[in-house]
Amino acid sequence: MAEDTFRRLLVVVCDLSPIWWGKQAANASENSDKMQPINAFLNNVLVFCNAHLMMKHTNELAIVCATSSKSQFIYPCPEDVSDANGEESYGNMDGKYEHFATMNNVVVDKVKNIIEEESADDVNLPENSATLLAGALSMTLCYIRQAERNCPVGQSMKARILVLKGSQDVSTQYMATMNCIFAAQKNNVTIDSCLLMSDSGFLQQASDITGGVYFKITKMESLLQYLLWMFLPDPNTRESLVMPGAVQIDYRAACFCHRTLVDIGFVCSVCLSIYCQLLPRCHTCQTRFKLPSAAMTRPKKKKKEKTAD
Amino acid sequence: MAADDDDESGYRWLNQYEKSWEAIQEDAQGGLQFVDDDFIQRARRRRLLAQPGNIRLGMMRHLYIILDLSKAMEEADLKPSRLFCTLKLLENFIVEYFDQNPISQLGIISTNNKRAEKLSELSGNPRIHASALTQKEKPNVCQGEPSLQNALETAKKSLRHLPGHASREILIVFGSLTTCDPSDIMETFESLKECKIRCSVIGLSAEVKVCKTLATTTQGTYDVILDEKHFRDILMQHVIPPAAKADAEAALIRMGFPQHLMSSTPSLCLCHLDSEWNKEINSSGYFCPQCNSKYCDLPVQCKACGLTLVSAPHLARSFQHLFPLAQFTEITTDEESHQKNCFGCESLLSKNLIYECPECSKRFCFECDLFIHETLHVCPGCSSTTSNAVIIKT
Amino acid sequence: MAAGGKQEAAPFGRHLKCKDLHQYLQGLPVSVLDKLYGHPATCFAVFRELPELAKHFVMRTLFAEQPLPETLVNAWVKKEQQNFCTGALNRLKQLRIWRVVTGWSQTRYELNPTFRSNLKIALCGGGQPWCGVADDLGPDRHSKDKEFLDKYALERWEAVLHFMTGSSPPDGTVGISADVVQVLLVSGLMKSDEQEQSPMITPSGFQFLLMDASSQIWYFMLKYLDMVEARGMNLVECLSFLFQLNFSTFGKDYPTDNMSDSQLRFLQHLREIGLVFQRKRKSRRYYPTKLVINLAAAGSGSMTTASEGVEGFIVVETNYRVYVYTDSPLQVALVGLFAEIICRFPKFCVAVLTRGSVSQALLSGITADQVLHFLRTRAHPEMLKKTPVIPANIADQIRLWELEKCRMQMTEGVLYNQFLSMSDFETLRKYAEDLGVLIWANSNKRVMIVSKSGHDDVKKFWKRQKPRE
Repeated sequence: MAEDTFRRLLVVVCDLSPIWWGKQAANASENSDKMQPINAFLNNVLVFCNAHLMMKHTNELAIVCATSSKSQFIYPCPEDVSDANGEESYGNMDGKYEHFATMNNVVVDKVKNIIEEESADDVNLPENSATLLAGALSMTLCYIRQAERNCPVGQSMKARILVLKGSQDVSTQYMATMNCIFAAQKNNVTIDSCLLMSDSGFLQQASDITGGVYFKITKMESLLQYLLWMFLPDPNTRESLVMPGAVQIDYRAACFCHRTLVDIGFVCSVCLSIYCQLLPRCHTCQTRFKLPSAAMTRPKKKKKEKTAD
Repeated sequence: MAADDDDESGYRWLNQYEKSWEAIQEDAQGGLQFVDDDFIQRARRRRLLAQPGNIRLGMMRHLYIILDLSKAMEEADLKPSRLFCTLKLLENFIVEYFDQNPISQLGIISTNNKRAEKLSELSGNPRIHASALTQKEKPNVCQGEPSLQNALETAKKSLRHLPGHASREILIVFGSLTTCDPSDIMETFESLKECKIRCSVIGLSAEVKVCKTLATTTQGTYDVILDEKHFRDILMQHVIPPAAKADAEAALIRMGFPQHLMSSTPSLCLCHLDSEWNKEINSSGYFCPQCNSKYCDLPVQCKACGLTLVSAPHLARSFQHLFPLAQFTEITTDEESHQKNCFGCESLLSKNLIYECPECSKRFCFECDLFIHETLHVCPGCSSTTSNAVIIKT
Repeated sequence: MAAGGKQEAAPFGRHLKCKDLHQYLQGLPVSVLDKLYGHPATCFAVFRELPELAKHFVMRTLFAEQPLPETLVNAWVKKEQQNFCTGALNRLKQLRIWRVVTGWSQTRYELNPTFRSNLKIALCGGGQPWCGVADDLGPDRHSKDKEFLDKYALERWEAVLHFMTGSSPPDGTVGISADVVQVLLVSGLMKSDEQEQSPMITPSGFQFLLMDASSQIWYFMLKYLDMVEARGMNLVECLSFLFQLNFSTFGKDYPTDNMSDSQLRFLQHLREIGLVFQRKRKSRRYYPTKLVINLAAAGSGSMTTASEGVEGFIVVETNYRVYVYTDSPLQVALVGLFAEIICRFPKFCVAVLTRGSVSQALLSGITADQVLHFLRTRAHPEMLKKTPVIPANIADQIRLWELEKCRMQMTEGVLYNQFLSMSDFETLRKYAEDLGVLIWANSNKRVMIVSKSGHDDVKKFWKRQKPRE
């Protein structure tokens, strides 16, 4: 484990989906918990962020929040960094390290704003609206790229992303998310995923393709411990630590017509859309297909010959 | 198509002289710099703009690379020699080709001593091609004269039997200025055209008429390189799938999406069965959903039942070509916007060089615009708004 | 083979070694160490300089209350990397951050409770503010901007270096006080001459001058801290104040309220060498400068390139020419230590590295590595874009010039001769060889040389052998 001289940038992507957190709050109130789950979550994440900054003075941090209507940087935010008065108003009242206190106060304020905005137009949102993960990831990748370019001469930067997500994946974001994953892979950005309560197929693939850690947390109370154990070590340190093994990832494709996972499917030769049955024309690119030739389906075909809809 | 454009612009020596030194100026500190700091960057952007929009592409590519191994490849105008430089670049090309064209195939043919020799058959396995190339990385490989016709005929023999939906291509890397052919090469060109095989040529020395005719007849491109960097750029342009011919057939292809599974008993995988070395017995692998043969890597064509086995991310890699992101418009006017920072990287937008996404009207800095279109292929603005329910537009 | 392997080749003066934070802390008495952990800033600074694995060990146990068995800790680390694990454990034990808990069947570790609670405070909040509350002071009417602070800091620290080189500082700067001179004398960087009034610079002093600014200040502070107790100041208070400054925000003012007498005196010394700015001696606020922020990291030598914020100004070409873009006479004088200045212009000068000039520097106790380090840490941004930063032929040549001086190696030894028989000679030679004290032997002439440290043993052995015959 050689002494590494990289500046380490960690971008934390938080899922602040109002619906998901609303459900959590409803569950928590049944159990008569004292603290709102989102507050507990935010506190834990902030302690984890502080811990990352604490490791080395060259470590850097950014936080992006994604909701179902927008994704937004909450730290660092340009207007607050340059504004000295901003710091003044967040006076440090206890023994926390100044930078941490300033950062934490900024983040808490911003998150509060976001939640208030969200709850204002919450009514308009359809029930199944999902967190804009792809948007947050693409912004993050742009930011990382910028940070790498602005790195002082003679130093280099290694970036990684930690996604904290609770809500479900939505298939409409599949293409955008996959493009983000491939861009991350190309730029050597590791994507770590910490799932809250439920698994995510997108992030399993993201972590597997970029060499990150994927982990699902089933108890919110132990979030901080898991964060510190699994996600605090950077990829270089992970080499020497015992980390959880890779999960089995389902790389099967979902067909475009019914969104079901298929073992054997039909792929359009023009646009690579996947279908679970033979069709006369492609829904995506409107190409008319020739009937499958004998060469393609081999003698032993017992498939439904033509199920035109 | 590109060749036609060249014809209109006429010979280069008839063009107005480019006063390249005028682009250089002293800055305040006395250092030399380009008048337009982003001179090169803008060129990159221009190239992106030139890319066609949402047209039908030949995604199932079957490409033969014809590599000239004649005496002319020993020239040292590329460092250390034309051959070594080409081999090095081709290795990168193959990796990149399979990365962006996951379900395509490739083969390599060499030509020297007036003969053509198949170095590797059409296959989707990059390792086979890479090892075929490394075998040529030794002295005294380059001998005699090349034969364009023999090489083309060899390629044609295997390409003509492919199904109609496949895109058939030949890419020729040609260092020689001559070719030694057994019969009329023009007939070969015509038959290539009939077989709908697209031939592109990269010339390493000077423009050769026969190559140009070949490219124009078969609707390929013909480029002559300036230097190594230019060579790389041109080669990498062939990674992007070409537009499909208007009359190209389309078909639904059966494919298998195997899962990575652990079986109870260890077994040999089919892909390493006939290789002399590296026979590993293990229990995990991808199992063909049709015949249950085991493979250790994807994509692959099942050796037992012929089914093409891929994983979903492989297909997803092609989306960037199939659904290209709309070009952003450059904002030149001084109109004020409430958006002070680049939507992507949060850096302050400078007065000039602002780009706006036509879909979501979010503004981006120059660097992010390039990054978004070259690597990311997702607009952060569009994917950060709720109204993106339909991403796949027809 | 004649050379004894253990002889240290250091004929030309001692190499100036700069301890890092941990080495310094390990040298402190246990009681002081325990008291130090009473402040969050100290815990924070100590934590940050731990080896990477040890940091994770601490983080993993920070919120876990019960003691951990050693086997469990070992299981965290992959088998191939166990030596790093042991290293991390040792460091934690030496610094008394982890303690061995007694009363269990196997070895169990526990985080030092004081360290735990204070690190938690730094991380999650709670407890007392570090430097008192600034609110009652209101905004500073004479508030200073960052450029001013940078300029001030540089000016003050260069005044110290100017004093060491003996050159007169630029007009208008105040000289340095007796207290600082005393530190320079005690640390061996300067020595007072019998004949002359003013102190003279020593070989270590030359080496000191070539270090980068943050290492210089760190070295200076270590020597200063050694003398703190002799001056009747409280070491623990001074150290925790130094670490507080280490983590303060640049460009922000802090109040002097609630500071102890030791700390106020310490503040005045820091003010003199430019680590903090205080407008007047009685002013109730001070500004930390860039020199003191992140100082604790300086000793670890992790800064391989120019320190942050300070722009490099030296260009070295493969033809041995050195171009120095600076108007600081001090920096030019420093380059002059090992290179020949050939032309000087305002803000710019040209020097050339020659065998003569470099040998001169080597003679005054500077090592080749220090010269290269100097060039590297002050390299112009354009140079930093290249790898290696210093052209390979220059780096090699400077090292070769250093090796020229080491062609002869002195080893003290004792000569054994006039052996009566070959077997006597062989027994003794074998014995000395087994002990590893044989320096040289010639069996034809029956002569051998044994190192001085091994002489006693060999002599005793010979006496024991004798009577039997």
